Amino acid sequence: MTDSKKRVVIMPCSGIGKAYGSVGREAMYQVVEEMRPDATTTTCLSLLTLGDADAQALVREQPTITIDGCPSACAKVSVEAVGGKPATEFRVFDVYRAHRELKVRSVSELGEAGREMARLLAEEIAAKVDELSK
Amino acid sequence: MPVLPKKKVGLISCSGEELPEGMLSRVATLQALERLRPNETVTLCLPLFLAGNDKERAFAKFYPTIAIDGCDKRCAARATEKYSAPPTASIVIPEFLAARGLDAPKTRRQMDAAGERAADALAQEIAQRVDEILGVKREPVAEPQTAAESEAVTATCSCGSGIPVTRLVIAGKEREIVALPLIFEQFRNDGKTPAELFDAVKIYNAIPAELEAAYREAILCAYAAHTLEKREG
Ligand code: SF4
Ligand code: SF4
Repeated sequence: MTDSKKRVVIMPCSGIGKAYGSVGREAMYQVVEEMRPDATTTTCLSLLTLGDADAQALVREQPTITIDGCPSACAKVSVEAVGGKPATEFRVFDVYRAHRELKVRSVSELGEAGREMARLLAEEIAAKVDELSK
Repeated sequence: MPVLPKKKVGLISCSGEELPEGMLSRVATLQALERLRPNETVTLCLPLFLAGNDKERAFAKFYPTIAIDGCDKRCAARATEKYSAPPTASIVIPEFLAARGLDAPKTRRQMDAAGERAADALAQEIAQRVDEILGVKREPVAEPQTAAESEAVTATCSCGSGIPVTRLVIAGKEREIVALPLIFEQFRNDGKTPAELFDAVKIYNAIPAELEAAYREAILCAYAAHTLEKREG
């Protein structure tokens, strides 16, 4: 997370046992690495869970977007638990609700539909990043 | 009749999004969960220790756990210990890779050939630690599992299917006992003796030797109350 001063933090949940957790993570990488590399950053959610000072400062001081894979909303809860306030909270399920034809294959292999779902979500996130970066 | 969850090994991956080794931790853990030891392992999304409830925090009290970490910050091991119970084993990936002369993948998002090799070796290491913890001896497997076998299992996390936690005052202090209602129900249905009941509780809970008598008394009292409640209810 070099030069994170003026960047929007994209914080996906660390879902390992849920396919929508994998979709959220892939959407984050699409935004941070391909779509808005100069305007965004990320950090390990597990660091936040543990109360790491740098990770806490990052989500408190920068606009933060959370992405969650299930109603437990680990990313949102973890950001709020350290005093951050997500600028926007995305839920992967909402993308599915709007595109019920997209069925993710599995946690470890999203498949064509899962990748498409991640792309749609990434576009929404990128639009929000643009708003927050104005 | 209630069925106690089978004793399995919990795999907690740090899943670090920021580092290639974090991805390695996640990919190898999924390989162990889905392909190598699907019947002997369970997982939980790590941030659930904070975002979840008592049942999720009971995870490492109930299951022996292996923490798999992408760097020496050891988020998985430390979070497991902080919120639940100390992990039974811990693997720190840079140390593992150095000891094996393996390389991490170049990026944090996509596997490459070096990353695949490292993930395979790490998944094997996790599987071996699972066997050690469960006391299982296996012949070395010459052939990897077939695609058909490996496609049959998909890892799912254990959130929402948490282990019940009961709080009892024992030796003047409130203490947590996991899986108690499940154990009680099973024993009531099987008509087993109080001595066997306490032995079962000890399988799922670490009971300090010096407090064993106090634990036994509190648990048998709770069992008597549970039985009475069921009879009257
Ligand atoms: S929000 Fe759901 S999928 Fe994501 S880390 Fe939490 S429990 Fe796992
Ligand atoms: S152990 Fe290292 S790679 Fe894993 S979540 Fe923590 S900081 Fe990230």
